[in-house]
Amino acid sequence: MPENELLEGLGLDEYQYGFVDEEAHVFRTRPGLNEDIVRQISKHKEEPEWMLEFRLKALKIYESKPMPTWGGDLSDLEATLDEIYFYVKPQDQMERSWSDVPENIKNTFQRLGIPEAEQKLLAGVGAQYESEMVYHSLKEEWASKGVIFDSIEDGLKNHPELFREHFATVIPIADNKFAALNSAVWSGGSFVYVPKGVTLETPLQAYFRVNQERMGQFERTLIIMDEGSQAHYIEGCTAPVYSTDSFHSGVIEIVLKRDARFRYTTIQNWSNNMYNLVTQRALVNQNATMEWLDGNLGSKLTMKYPSCYLVGEGAHGEIMSIAYASDGQHQDTGGKVVHVAPNTTSSIISKSISKGHGRSTYRGLCKVYEGAVNARSNVECDALLINDTSRTDTYPYIEIEEKQASVGHEATVSRVGDDQLFYLMSRGLTQEEAMALIVRGFIEPIAKELPLEYAVELNRLIELEMEGSVG
Amino acid sequence: MPNPAQAVEASSEEEGSSAEEETPNCLDQDTVERISQGAPSWLSERRRHAWSVFESTPLPSTQSEEWRYTDVSRVVDFTDLQLAMDGALTDGALAENGSRPAGLTAAMDEDRAASGYTLLIDGGVVHVDLEPALAEQGVILTSLKSAVYEHGDLLEKLLATEVVPPEDGKFQALNAALWTDGVLLYVPANVELDLPIRATRWISGAGSAVCTRTLIVAERGSQVSYVEELLSEDFQRRTLVSSAVEVIAQDGSQVQYVSIQQLGRDAFCQSAQRTFAYRDSRLDTLNVNLGGSVSRLDLNARLLGPGAHSDMLGLYFGDEDQHFDHNTSQDHIARDTGSDLLYKGALDDRSRAAFRGIIRVHPAAQGTDAYQTNRNLLLSDEARADSLPNLEIEADDVKCSHGASVGQLDAEVLFYLLSRGLNLQQAERLVVLGFLGDVMARLPLGGVVEKVTRAIERKLKHV
Repeated sequence: MPENELLEGLGLDEYQYGFVDEEAHVFRTRPGLNEDIVRQISKHKEEPEWMLEFRLKALKIYESKPMPTWGGDLSDLEATLDEIYFYVKPQDQMERSWSDVPENIKNTFQRLGIPEAEQKLLAGVGAQYESEMVYHSLKEEWASKGVIFDSIEDGLKNHPELFREHFATVIPIADNKFAALNSAVWSGGSFVYVPKGVTLETPLQAYFRVNQERMGQFERTLIIMDEGSQAHYIEGCTAPVYSTDSFHSGVIEIVLKRDARFRYTTIQNWSNNMYNLVTQRALVNQNATMEWLDGNLGSKLTMKYPSCYLVGEGAHGEIMSIAYASDGQHQDTGGKVVHVAPNTTSSIISKSISKGHGRSTYRGLCKVYEGAVNARSNVECDALLINDTSRTDTYPYIEIEEKQASVGHEATVSRVGDDQLFYLMSRGLTQEEAMALIVRGFIEPIAKELPLEYAVELNRLIELEMEGSVG
Repeated sequence: MPNPAQAVEASSEEEGSSAEEETPNCLDQDTVERISQGAPSWLSERRRHAWSVFESTPLPSTQSEEWRYTDVSRVVDFTDLQLAMDGALTDGALAENGSRPAGLTAAMDEDRAASGYTLLIDGGVVHVDLEPALAEQGVILTSLKSAVYEHGDLLEKLLATEVVPPEDGKFQALNAALWTDGVLLYVPANVELDLPIRATRWISGAGSAVCTRTLIVAERGSQVSYVEELLSEDFQRRTLVSSAVEVIAQDGSQVQYVSIQQLGRDAFCQSAQRTFAYRDSRLDTLNVNLGGSVSRLDLNARLLGPGAHSDMLGLYFGDEDQHFDHNTSQDHIARDTGSDLLYKGALDDRSRAAFRGIIRVHPAAQGTDAYQTNRNLLLSDEARADSLPNLEIEADDVKCSHGASVGQLDAEVLFYLLSRGLNLQQAERLVVLGFLGDVMARLPLGGVVEKVTRAIERKLKHV
């Protein structure tokens, strides 16, 4: 226990991205949501008529669907929905060069470590501030090969046919209440197209920042991977700490054509007043491979279950997730794999750590439809509990309609064993070092998949958080 | 041990005059009042209360997690059912060996080794006998109907109160309001029964709703096992067979409860079971579900005292369009408790099985060891298995794991057996038997393993 206090004194639990910028926006809608606000958003974006109709239809569906009764506690969010700003426009137009981004916003992203220098490691960078992408760039090398990496609004404007062909096909409007909400008020997010056979050697990165208090961010991302293409997309999220709650509800749709390979990495580090309710789904065609790498460290409540719909023969889906829940946090995460075609394979590996009064929940679905012969799926989830007030839950759904399929699920829950600690300490490690080593070992299979800078950050975070947590 | 078959004859002569009344026993308030007539006031009150709970509880819908895979509205229509009263088949037919249902005779002749035996026909107990030496030591084995008068205090305290109360759900409420009879087994402190108590339940189809209960109380340091068998021929109409099973194991006692269900087609077998395991007790259950068209088990094990342990075993084998729904939960409430659940099933034809299990480790239950495994073997293209093994852990010093799998017959194993000269059918049967057999190996109760193996073999013959 004394170590605990010592460490708290060092301020390690402080959220380093919690700073606030002065509010400066060029337009925002009144708080709350109605048809008029949806029309305003659409008008500001100068959208075609079909998109306005789509939004209005989605609004009706959103209003008709009840709040989910499972998962986390949404009652506080429901009570404050009328006070949330659903659309905040931070600047007049999106910039292609960092130097044109308004000073205060640029400073924010620099403080978050997305400086221009980082572009050296990335094929493209997108940055969203409040409701709009404020910056988007793609290296010429990739643009010349026909790669499109743009804000979703520009995707709709500049590539209307490609956009309309795929938009809302992976996640239909009525999929769930929050997907319907996003469909009504979506703003910002990325539009990505990688042409046939093109392999992006460095990742694309999108960064999401919410600054405004009581703000709702509804980014919408559509990614189309043409036949045989390969890419890696990284998103990161942060927000200031306010006493009131904010709300982030994204919809991410990914289409993988045959033989494509795509990895989507999320490092979610929202402040602890953020409701993060995201729908992410990939449609995986013949022999394509989809990988979700999902790191949930921040937010008050996250409900997010990245999914792979394996619709083409030989498709492969992989979901690796790590969740960390500390005081006041509930990470309700997991993954869904749906096997529709023969010879499809999938794997879910989930690791969670609950500390203090934190609660982490694994919720997953493995579904094998009749006809998906030789489908194979394996789900493993492990939970580590640090304190006696921590909580963990596991809710896997396994639904198998095909005889020639093999599906397994294993989960374990444990705390760091006294015998493990004792062994390491007998080898000369301090208790803190031993604890950190065990926890790092626990998350290693997933941490090693992260891009280097994130892996380092995650390891540092975990190491510091874990030290001094012993009993 | 006297031959139970002969005992039936004797008892049926005594009760042979209980002619059925013409009034239809619908599942309604009138019937609750009718069966409450002459009962002690605590019981009538309890039945009325349960009926009000039943009426105010909506029919479970597939929207609720617990009933996600079974649509009750398509399985049973309460307004269409008539309560089977006690002894519907006691007169005439049953007594004569020649016209007694063959399945019942076979079951009754199968196992003789028992400390006590009871036979229930439809909604009533028609025969009970218990080793006199055990009766002298204070063991009670009797029908609930007579226990209401002979052991009223015990029943008033424990029957349908805290173990399986009507508030648990629609079916629990129905049973608490309309139970017609059942079994009370009470074992005093430090009394050990070497052989199991056996119960045979035969459902004739005379009424389309059978509601009975079982209450087992093992006082501290006692030891007892109870094996119950449900049997019938195929029904002409949808028949609800409702059971509520309450088992209490006091400090240091050892209790085993086994249920083997081989009802005929068109039966909807619904069983609500809860076990209370106190300090250092061991309370194991085995539920074998082979028959019926639809069977639903709600089983909750509560580990209430330090050192308590429960093994929960389950086995099912479906064919044609059989539907099994197992809903289990393991509540670790006291520290240093253990539970280990293993449910395995094989599914052929268009049959389907759902398993929903949850381990709940309450905040005070440090030192919990809890395990949960559900394994399914799909033998046909049209069979289906759904599995939801859940965990909710609120203490940190725990060891918990769960596993679930759905798969097909292992081709390598089959190949090996074929290479040894077996034909495919023989090989398949052997593998299925081995797959299911390891559940029984965990509870090797005399007679049970053989009985269940025979029953599985009978089903396998059709594969």
